[in-house]
Amino acid sequence: MTRDQLKDYIGSKYASLMTPLDTGRFDPMFEVKADRLFEVSRALRDDENLKLDFLCNMHATDTRENFEIVYSIASITTKLRLDFKIVMPYQNAEIDSVQEVWPAANWYEREMWELFGINVKNHGNLKRFLLPDDWNQGHPMRKDWDAPDFVRMPEIQ
Amino acid sequence: MNLIPIVAVELQPIFAWIYRWLEGLGLQGTLLTVVVYAGLGVMVFGVLAVLALFLVWWERKIAGHMQQRFGPMRNGWHGWYQTMMDGLKLLQKEDVLVDTRDKVVFFWAPVICFVAAFLAYVVMPFGDGLIVADLNVGILYIMAVTTFTVISLLMAGWGSNNKYALLGGMRSAAQVVSYEVPMVASILTVILFTGSLSMVDIVESQSGLVFNWFVFRLPFGPVAFMIYITAATAEANRTPFDIPEAEQELVAGFNVEYSGMKFAMFFLAEFVNMFTVSAIAVTLFFGGWQGWEFIPSWIWFLGKTFMVVLLLMLFRWTYPRLRVDQLMEFAWKILIPIAFVNLIVAGWMKYAGWYW
Amino acid sequence: MSAVRTEEFMVNMGPHHPSTHGVCRLLLTMDGEKVIKIEPYIGYLHRSIEKICENRTYHQCIPILDRFEYVTAMSCNYVFSLAAEKLAQIEVPERAEYLRVIMLELNRIASHLIFFGTTAMDLGALTPFLYALREREYIMDLFEMTCGQRLTYNYIRIGGVSRDIPAEFVPKCREAIKIIDQKVDEYMALLNGNPIWQKRTIGVGYLSPELAVAYGVSGPILRASGVDFDIRRDDPYSIYDRFDFEIPVRPNGDVFDRYMLRLDEIKQSVRIISQALDGLPEGEIKAKVPLKFKPPAGEVYSRIENSRGEMGVYILSDGTEKPVRVKTRGGSYNHLQVLPEFATDILIADLVAIFASFDIIMPEVDR
Repeated sequence: MTRDQLKDYIGSKYASLMTPLDTGRFDPMFEVKADRLFEVSRALRDDENLKLDFLCNMHATDTRENFEIVYSIASITTKLRLDFKIVMPYQNAEIDSVQEVWPAANWYEREMWELFGINVKNHGNLKRFLLPDDWNQGHPMRKDWDAPDFVRMPEIQ
Repeated sequence: MNLIPIVAVELQPIFAWIYRWLEGLGLQGTLLTVVVYAGLGVMVFGVLAVLALFLVWWERKIAGHMQQRFGPMRNGWHGWYQTMMDGLKLLQKEDVLVDTRDKVVFFWAPVICFVAAFLAYVVMPFGDGLIVADLNVGILYIMAVTTFTVISLLMAGWGSNNKYALLGGMRSAAQVVSYEVPMVASILTVILFTGSLSMVDIVESQSGLVFNWFVFRLPFGPVAFMIYITAATAEANRTPFDIPEAEQELVAGFNVEYSGMKFAMFFLAEFVNMFTVSAIAVTLFFGGWQGWEFIPSWIWFLGKTFMVVLLLMLFRWTYPRLRVDQLMEFAWKILIPIAFVNLIVAGWMKYAGWYW
Repeated sequence: MSAVRTEEFMVNMGPHHPSTHGVCRLLLTMDGEKVIKIEPYIGYLHRSIEKICENRTYHQCIPILDRFEYVTAMSCNYVFSLAAEKLAQIEVPERAEYLRVIMLELNRIASHLIFFGTTAMDLGALTPFLYALREREYIMDLFEMTCGQRLTYNYIRIGGVSRDIPAEFVPKCREAIKIIDQKVDEYMALLNGNPIWQKRTIGVGYLSPELAVAYGVSGPILRASGVDFDIRRDDPYSIYDRFDFEIPVRPNGDVFDRYMLRLDEIKQSVRIISQALDGLPEGEIKAKVPLKFKPPAGEVYSRIENSRGEMGVYILSDGTEKPVRVKTRGGSYNHLQVLPEFATDILIADLVAIFASFDIIMPEVDR
């Protein structure tokens, strides 16, 4: 299946779940509604023609207006690859965990929670791991986050 | 009490002169004995300290040359006084202490380790007559005192109050106790033929041709030697049996919390132990100080011992490390059965008289 | 003896530990020598590379991405350039593609040599490490000759490579790969037949293919578990489809297979390099890319086969000079994630062997 065929296949079979986007420059890109995420991921993994069983990458982006959560998935057997994203408002951002479909999502979701403040439902192990344990200065990967200023030592008289 | 006969034949004039000089000073009886033995103790200690320093340097050079590099090169010709400078550095170092340590145990562990390492040399025949005291239970005494080392390692592991150290101490206890068994079984094979536990008797029973060396007594001699050298590597905590201080697993094992001179004592004791097991191997299997007479006997002894030490060093820089359960398996399932079968065969051959 | 009360204890393996390859911290729950629970803690090397990239232009991102995975810095350069080229649809000159392949494969060999040395060292054999570094030195010399650097190369740029190779590169490279090819056989002779090595590696740390795929394990570890997948062949990038090479696959999924597979890969990389050297064309080494590089708005995730598995970069561009978001993905991140699954009936020495066979390096995890 080439990339165009993949796009057509998904457009015909999962039209209600995934909307194609034209921002993807190489691999096909789709948009998924946040409440259908679990359904979509399970369908993509279990589809006989796709078998997208490999989570390459997953991350959040802050576009200043909203969060985009991008899932890059691939298949070991059918060698296909596609991306899909969830767009969600800035306030009270929350997604479902896809660990049940791709266990690899565990740390990616943890990182997202830690650096962006996006809550992950049903994660089970939301603990800090990249930032210090006593970190209380917000979520550093958000665009509105500023590095805490340098504190200059007072000059000694 | 006549002390003169037990000193080396080559060195006898010197020792005799010192002895007479001491007598001339008016020393007599017990006092004379005490002074003579104290002098001998200091001498053995000094010789061994120098030997240990040399062994550290030698090991580093061998490791270097095996690994396509030179090893220490800066201090003197090919870095010959590198270890002394290292020792000086360790002496000057701050002795970092953990607050949660068990103070008494932590302090005494390196001391015991250091002392235990030197105790074996009381009965070690360095040359023809060059022995501090020819005990009639010589080899038994050595087996007894070398086991003190394991107590010190256990103490170090416990006293550091560190989990890595504790694991290292426990591993060393398990390992040394297990490997003591095949080691003693292989030594028994030798004793069976010499009929004496005295180190001097063991050496003298191998006199004559090279084929009288115990290692060439077929078929049990070589087997006993193999078992001995394997067990000895484990006793001296060297790769492939260095799990008590397995650097990549336990950081440094039992001595992880030691620094400065306390660490240096463990370090030197390790090398002295290596020399001890090699010296025992030479005494038991390679005819001790015996050789052609135009070379002094103590040179023969040192030369042979260094060859065995070289073997241990080659082991260390070649082999990977065994895992702790495989180590135990190797001792109990392979070495000990072979050692006992070997012992039984040797005993039967001795009974039947099928040996020369 | 049932009256003896035993209890589990926790050991902090790392962040300063000789065999965690950097600053990984594993919180182990142990029952004597047995490891019954592993909890990895990361972040000790977190340099916020992704955040830094958001404040830099595309060209400036490449040197900082050198530090993303410094053992194979060429791959980091390449994967970012590839993503940027896909965004702006830049055609890369032929000679540049060949040079990139040569450099990537040389770097893969260098990385696998480091793996070989450190694995042997973690299992207690200290000498092979020095041998491996000796051979790696040939490759470092080649890199130094080409781009002046030995660790962070900044060589592969958007649209090509930064400079052409010197005249003596090709003969020296041929010589180096010939030596390395022979030395790999020597390594195998040194360790494979050793009973201690076999005991420590064969059958230790079995990773099932299902688990590996589920946890996103990629690269040599995935192939050592019997999954025949290599991005160089299955999602081809650059000019890898022109070369004749095999993808080594091994079925057992233990430490020994992971070790052997990497040595096999060195041999295949040598094949690729010699073919690339034969076919190296003359010509331009860099496409015209403006200094104020502004790719059109869009997003792309590019992935390549690195020595530590899949390495990927995602770029979101809004048409300005700076990317909106750069997300880097390293193989080690997923490999470390699968480590707690091994905490069934292994000893601490096995854990060290498994960790070594995964070839995890921490900058890739913490970023």
